[in-house]
This record gives sequence, structure tokens and C-alpha cells, in this order.
Amino acid sequence: MRRLAGAPLAIAGSLILVSLFLNLVPGDPVEMMLGEQAPSVDREALRRSVGLDRPWYGQLWLFIRELATGNLRSSLPPFQRKILPQIFAALPNTLLLTFAAMAVAILIAIPLGVAAASRKGTAVDHAAMGIAVAGVALPRFWLGPMLIILFAIKLDWLPVSGADSPRNLILPSVTLGTALAAFLSRITRASMLDTLREEYVTVSRAKGLSPSAVLWKHAFRNALLPIITVLGLEFGALLGGAIVTEKVFAWPGMGTLLLTGIEKRDYNLVRAVVLVFTLSYVAINGLTDLVYTAVDPRVRRQ
Amino acid sequence: MPDLALDYQFLDPQTLEFTLRDHLTFHDGTPLTSDDVKATFDGLMDRALGSPKADKLEPVDRIEAPGPSRVVFHLKRPYAPILAELVLPIVPRSRAFAAAAPAQDRAPIGAGPFRFSAQPDEEHIVLTPFEGYYGGKPRIRRLLIRTVRDETTRVLELLKGRADLVIGAVSPPIFPALHAGVRGDLRTDEPRLRILWEPGSAYAYLGLNSRSGPLSDLRIRRAICHALDVQPILKAKFRGLAQPATGMLPPGHWAYAETAGCRRDLALATQLLTEAGYSTARGEREGLKEAPPGRAKRTLHLTLKTSTDRFRKSIALVFQEQLAEAGIEVEIRSLEYGTFFNDVRKGNFELFSLVWSSGSVIEPDILRWVFSSANIPGPENAFAGLNRTGYRNRRLDELLDRATRVGQDERKVLYAQALALIDSDLPYIPLWHESSPAIVSSRLQDFEPSPQGYLRPLARAREAAP
Repeated sequence: MRRLAGAPLAIAGSLILVSLFLNLVPGDPVEMMLGEQAPSVDREALRRSVGLDRPWYGQLWLFIRELATGNLRSSLPPFQRKILPQIFAALPNTLLLTFAAMAVAILIAIPLGVAAASRKGTAVDHAAMGIAVAGVALPRFWLGPMLIILFAIKLDWLPVSGADSPRNLILPSVTLGTALAAFLSRITRASMLDTLREEYVTVSRAKGLSPSAVLWKHAFRNALLPIITVLGLEFGALLGGAIVTEKVFAWPGMGTLLLTGIEKRDYNLVRAVVLVFTLSYVAINGLTDLVYTAVDPRVRRQ
Repeated sequence: MPDLALDYQFLDPQTLEFTLRDHLTFHDGTPLTSDDVKATFDGLMDRALGSPKADKLEPVDRIEAPGPSRVVFHLKRPYAPILAELVLPIVPRSRAFAAAAPAQDRAPIGAGPFRFSAQPDEEHIVLTPFEGYYGGKPRIRRLLIRTVRDETTRVLELLKGRADLVIGAVSPPIFPALHAGVRGDLRTDEPRLRILWEPGSAYAYLGLNSRSGPLSDLRIRRAICHALDVQPILKAKFRGLAQPATGMLPPGHWAYAETAGCRRDLALATQLLTEAGYSTARGEREGLKEAPPGRAKRTLHLTLKTSTDRFRKSIALVFQEQLAEAGIEVEIRSLEYGTFFNDVRKGNFELFSLVWSSGSVIEPDILRWVFSSANIPGPENAFAGLNRTGYRNRRLDELLDRATRVGQDERKVLYAQALALIDSDLPYIPLWHESSPAIVSSRLQDFEPSPQGYLRPLARAREAAP
């Protein structure tokens, strides 16, 4: 419960910071909307109509009030489209992409990390960790197009971009998951090495258990805690990486929405997207705690 | 308007009459009459709608619709550029005013060849052919307009064969990849992607802040002009898809006039810089004899602002190199577009590079909007004036004002003088006229690109037989 107490603080902090930054960024929604020339348009009236005449905290208050009444609208005059429908359309796409990327990362990292740890110092270990370093080093804006060229153009197996079919999910989730997979496999290896040194592992070996039973049942289960911690922590990085990945794959998610909001200086849209990002982060951290207790009974007893 | 109007006629310098085509129909099936034309313009001039077009329509006094196909514009004063300003889409009278604006925003109604069908999400718009179009129903069965933010991804969608038309959204240096990566259609030996283009009028320029700082000195503006050479850029970066510019108007424009321009001349550039009190040789020791007493000579250091667009940044690097050869140090700052544009509007720059779209360079009155001292951003124009370099020339102001009130022959003479003045004062350094190349798949036939890069030619194009 105590852990949850920090959540409102994190949410309030992120909203305040974003509002402050928006206040500092040059250009405002009215000017971006009007574009080139329109000296006679009553800019002040337009600004007032969307609350831009207020100081940043006034605008933030307006945002919270509109959000609470479920009537949150864009900061772009004159039409001020509703924001929540846009968020509800984009959020499932981003969550799908993020969890798919996580799944990709886990599927690659765990076997790789465990294999490397169980054969420490061998060619398998070096190869696995070499792959891991490469994975961390590859930027997504490069990896994405390369995967497209290979799998969508040359091999003609998958679509290039968009979100028309489930097959569209494959390349972006691999692109997004690769860096996490690399990082996670290093953590898995290190954590496995630690547990493999423990006495109970030696004991189970001495009992005559099969090597794979020792590895997966005894060592891996105990090595899991740090891995879950990292997964929870890296979720935020994954959301950040989703912005680039969504751009490359024209994936209609929160990242695309955030970029639109920034380009148009749609303050409310940016605030709303950041709020959703913060909430997801807080939620995932809470979830990580729950998973801890499921995996390690000792945490429950404390 | 040029589509809907059959003919026009100046009854006197302040009265302009249009005759509309017969049997015009809106997408909702209602007939398009002079009442709709009048309502559209009344709406745009109505403060309540807050249209940015209202300023350009300011010379219009009132509009009459004496018959179903006759529209008469009464002007407050003789105003020659009015014809170009009236080129606007007409909406049904029920949609012309502020109250109906949200409806028009959600599901627009017009009278063009394609009608709005659906907008399933933010990234897609579906258009279908309109059987009531006066030019005949388009042969294309369905148009899907899709937003793809990443340039590389746009190219890859083309290569995959999932996009049939991309206009002006792939930069020329990538073109070779379009040929290399595409197998020709084996039956017809026709390449799967073609690049089609018409010489465009979009005007690329360097803006020089003539309000204050080193660039308020004409000698330095001239030195920069003589230090630059656009030819290598046109060849290497644009692959011939742009033509050198001598001024804002492209050759072939009715008001075009040749100007002296400045050719690359490093010796002259160096001399001008020295006269202006700057050291030019890189690594030259300070404290030379010519230096004014008490002030060591220094190198000219300037900042060039651009957007973050990769292509524009790569061009800025060429400028940087060329100016370095003349002894001018240039620092490039590429800024997120909103920030960049805000700096340009606020006069917060020394040098910036931008492009006037081809749509803006049709009516030569653009010269008045961009170079008249009345349009320097300031409180009187809500800081929205387009003369962002802060250039002031009384004689030019008069020439450009007079050119709005006289007939075309006289305008031509006045604009020639104006172009010459601008050319010698150099608030802008002219670079080139860009086109909007269309990349077309073999599925799309009979597409004849427009110089402005409009989608309009799709009205006459057809789909290839499968």
C-alpha cells in the first residue's frame, strides 16, 4: 500500500513538469494553426477561447477540470476536437506493441542468458553476449527500416507499415524489443551466475537431479527476481522507444499522437499523452510488486 | 473558382463579373449557384469565422448574385491581384458560416472530382469519385490517403507496391534507390515506379536579417551572395529537379524580369568583407595593418537556422562549406519546425533558409507581402507580417503599392523595377525554384503532374488494367 502512495506524486510531478516545459517551448497553438499570414485575425480572442491567456498553472487547472468532466478538448482553435476518443483509439495499439515487444525480449533474452550462464566462458557465452551488445547498440530508426527491407521487400513476407492486420505487429515489436532483449539477457546471465554459486544449487546437484532440473527449477526460479525488476523498470524505456518505432512503422499509437501534439503545439493533447504514459508506468510498477509476491513468497511475509 | 467559372470580365476597374458553368452540383446533390459563391466569400470575410483569408479579401467591398450563374464582386478600390485571391474552393451556402464550420471540418462538402467518404482514423482519409462532377466522373474507383511520417518508410511502401502516388514527400537524393530496388514489369518492361515532374515555382531562398547586426550592412549581404554557388547543389542534391532562381518569380511567369544577380566570385566576396572590417583568411594573424586602430580584425561569424529536415540540413552544410571558403564562419542550428518558424517570425535569426510554396508564388503581389515595409512583423499586423527580414525601401513600397492598382502591362514594368531593387538590396538571396516530383506506380496511368504538386490531376488519371 505504501508503494501506491507515491503514485499521485509522480502523476502530479509529471503534469507540472510537462506544463512548465510547454510554457517554455516557442510557438503556440494559435500561431501554428494560423500558419503564414493573418494579421487581422483576432489572436487574443482565439487564445482566450482555448484558455491560452491563462498562466501555465491556470491552463493546467483547466486541463484537469476538463479531464475530470470527461470533456477534454484539444488546445487548437477553432474546432477543438475531443481528445479522449483519440487516446482510446491509440492506447490499445501502443499497449499491444509494448507488450509484444516485451514478449519478444523475454523469448530472446531468457534462453540466451541462461545458456550463456550455464556455459560460462565458452564460445556459447561469448556469442550470446556479443549478440547482446549488438542489440543494445542498434538504434531503432536504423533497425526498423533494415528489418522492413529484409522481411517486407526482399523476402516479401510481411507488410511494411500500418496496422491493418496482425502481421503488421511483428516487425515493430521486434524492433522495439531488441534493445530490451539484449539488456535483459545480460541481467539474466549475471543473475543466473549468482544463483548457480549458491549452496542449494550444489546440494541439488549432489542429490543427483538432472542438470536441466537444477538449472530451471532451482537456479532460474531464484534468479527471476532481478529479471522482473528490470522488466518493470525498462517498461518506461519501452514506452519512450515506442515513439520512434511508431513513427518508423506508421503505427497509430500514443507515440504518433504525441508527435502530432508537439508539432501542432496542441498542449492538451501532449499533457494527456504524458499523463497516460505516467499512469502506465505507475501501473506497471505496481504490477511488478504483485509479481514479486507471486514469484518469491519471502516478499509476502515481510 | 477557375474550375467553376466559365468566364470573367472587369466591368470597370472596381467591378468584376463571373459567369459560372451550367449544371454545377455539390457532393450532397444540391446545385451550386451564385448564391453559394457569394455565401462562401461572405463567410470568409466574416470575422466570426476568423479565416486567415479575410486579409487577402479585404479589398472586396460586397458581392452580388444577380442571377443563378452570375456573381459580381465590387471592390473598394482598383485592386489588380484580386483574381488570384479569389481562387478558393466554394462550399454550399449552408456550410459557409461559422456555425456550420465544425460540420464542414468533420465531413467536408465541395464540388470537386472526389467526394469525402470517410476518415476511419487520424492517419487515413477515403475519397470516392463524384458522379456529378462537371468534368465527368473520375475513373479511379477509390482514393485512400494515408499519413506515413517517416520518409524512409514512405520509400519502402513505394518499393513494396503498397503506395501508388507520393508527391513532393521524398527528397531527390533518395531517387536512385527507387530505381535500383524495383524490378521492371516483365510483360511490358515498364519500370514499376516512375518519377514525373513539371518545373515548379516554389522559391527557395536565404533570408538575411537586415534589421541589425552584421547583415544590416549591404556589403556583407553581397559578400555572402558572391560566396555562394547553387549549381553544385542543383546537380548533386536536386538531380536537376530545380532551376536556379534570380528572384522570387520563376522564368516564364508573366511578370518575370531578369535581374543582375550575383555570380560566385570569392575575390569580390573577400574584398567586400575586408571593406566591411572583417578578416577573411582563415588562420590569418590578428592585428594587421589595415585593421582600424584599437580594434583587432575578426572573422565574420554567422548563424544559419534551418528545420531538422535531413535534406535541408545537408544543403545547409554545403552553404557552410562555401561560405568558409570566403572566410565566413557559419554555425548551423537546425531546430524543430515550430521553434524554427517561431524564430523566423520573431526576427530571431541572422540567416535562415526556407521555401515559399509554389501556391504562394503565383500572384506577383506576393512581393508586396514579403518586401513592403508595411509588412514587417509588428504590433500593427499582430506580428504576422511576412517581411521577416525587416527590409525597408520607400521606393519599393511605392512601386509595389502602385502595382496593385494598375493594368497588367503597367504592372509588368513596375514589377521589373521592384525585382531589380530587391536584387540589389538583397534582403533575400535567391537560390532556386523547386518542383514537387510525383512518384507514380505502374498501377496509376495518365497522371500528369501539376507544377504545384497538387492531387488534382488524379481527376483525369486511371487505374492500369490488372
